[in-house]
Amino acid sequence: MNGKVHLQTPAKLYDGKWVDAELIVTEQILCIGNTKIQVNEIEDIGNVEVEGVEAIRIKNDGEIIIKPPENLMQQVFRFLAFNLKADRFAVYYLDSATVGGVVSSGTQWEKGYFSVTDEGFWFISPKKQQKMLFDSLGTVVKDVRNVGGKQRKVLVLSKVENGQVATSLLMCPETTLEMLENYLNRLIETHKPGIEFTDMEKQILTLVYSGLDFVSIENMIGISTDELNEYYDRLVDSGLAKVVKIRKEVELTPRGVTMVGDIPNL
Amino acid sequence: MPKVLIVDDTAFMRKLLKNILFGAGFDIAGEAENGNQAVEMYKELNPDVVTMDIVMPDMNGIDALKQIKSFDKGAKVVMCTAIGQEKIVKTAIKLGAKGYIIKPFQAPKVLEEIKKVTGA
Repeated sequence: MNGKVHLQTPAKLYDGKWVDAELIVTEQILCIGNTKIQVNEIEDIGNVEVEGVEAIRIKNDGEIIIKPPENLMQQVFRFLAFNLKADRFAVYYLDSATVGGVVSSGTQWEKGYFSVTDEGFWFISPKKQQKMLFDSLGTVVKDVRNVGGKQRKVLVLSKVENGQVATSLLMCPETTLEMLENYLNRLIETHKPGIEFTDMEKQILTLVYSGLDFVSIENMIGISTDELNEYYDRLVDSGLAKVVKIRKEVELTPRGVTMVGDIPNL
Repeated sequence: MPKVLIVDDTAFMRKLLKNILFGAGFDIAGEAENGNQAVEMYKELNPDVVTMDIVMPDMNGIDALKQIKSFDKGAKVVMCTAIGQEKIVKTAIKLGAKGYIIKPFQAPKVLEEIKKVTGA
């Protein structure tokens, strides 16, 4: 084994089922069972749940799923996040400056690295290893903000976190900022669904986001249940929404009608 | 429950806010579609809180906020605007805005903010 061994521990590897294997992490190599991976060739990582087990998904040529012991999960995850193959920039980052449209209080700038992989980007600091998928990234725009009493150019990233739109701010040297803005916007474009929406569809999308239920939306927009169902189908087909509940319309059978007739004082 | 004056130049946004707030038990004191109307209605209706859009025709939300605050120092105004205009937050807060909501917003967050401001 080349290089300094950081960690050597029993772990689990998922290969159609969970099997026991030894995990060795060195400066350059991650080795689990018979599988060896150059750490700096790892393309991305993520948290994943397999058969009810929280694990780490490692994307390389293919994918491997490992489960280090519980007390070492965070340590292994952090090491891999810091060392994976990615373009990396030193930045200051203010996470979740706004959440769900409301300005957050108590969030603070953190110094760390901004890494771009082919699935998304990471903010990595000793305290935080946060991954944001391109699919959940909304807009990236430059803006000027007051940071530490000075007017600074920052990138404002809007993204979806737990179903809510959150904006985060990123600050770095201006040339890097320009480059990141262009780069991220190009990536966002490639991940956008190629659909043109009508004003009505945009309104429905906004209302669903705002948390209104089916009946409220129907009443607000002034359309029938069938029409709204058609709009919903289009949102679902385009991958912008998923079905969480199917409503049922029922009518009473003669027995049901009799039953109602028997209910005296409702 | 507190009375809310909703100020926004788009009928859709007013309707959405009305739906969210009314559904949570707030009384809707009225709706205004520009700053001028907002100031007049504030004087007339004396609402407990105002949700104020910033970009509006005739008189924008910042000017309306100034006039409402000069009429009633204790006025509770929550500013409401689109992503990308957050830099106005500082101006609005200096002028005495009590809260700030950025569109698109979600019902629970809006309610949380309005309840915080009104103490409801």
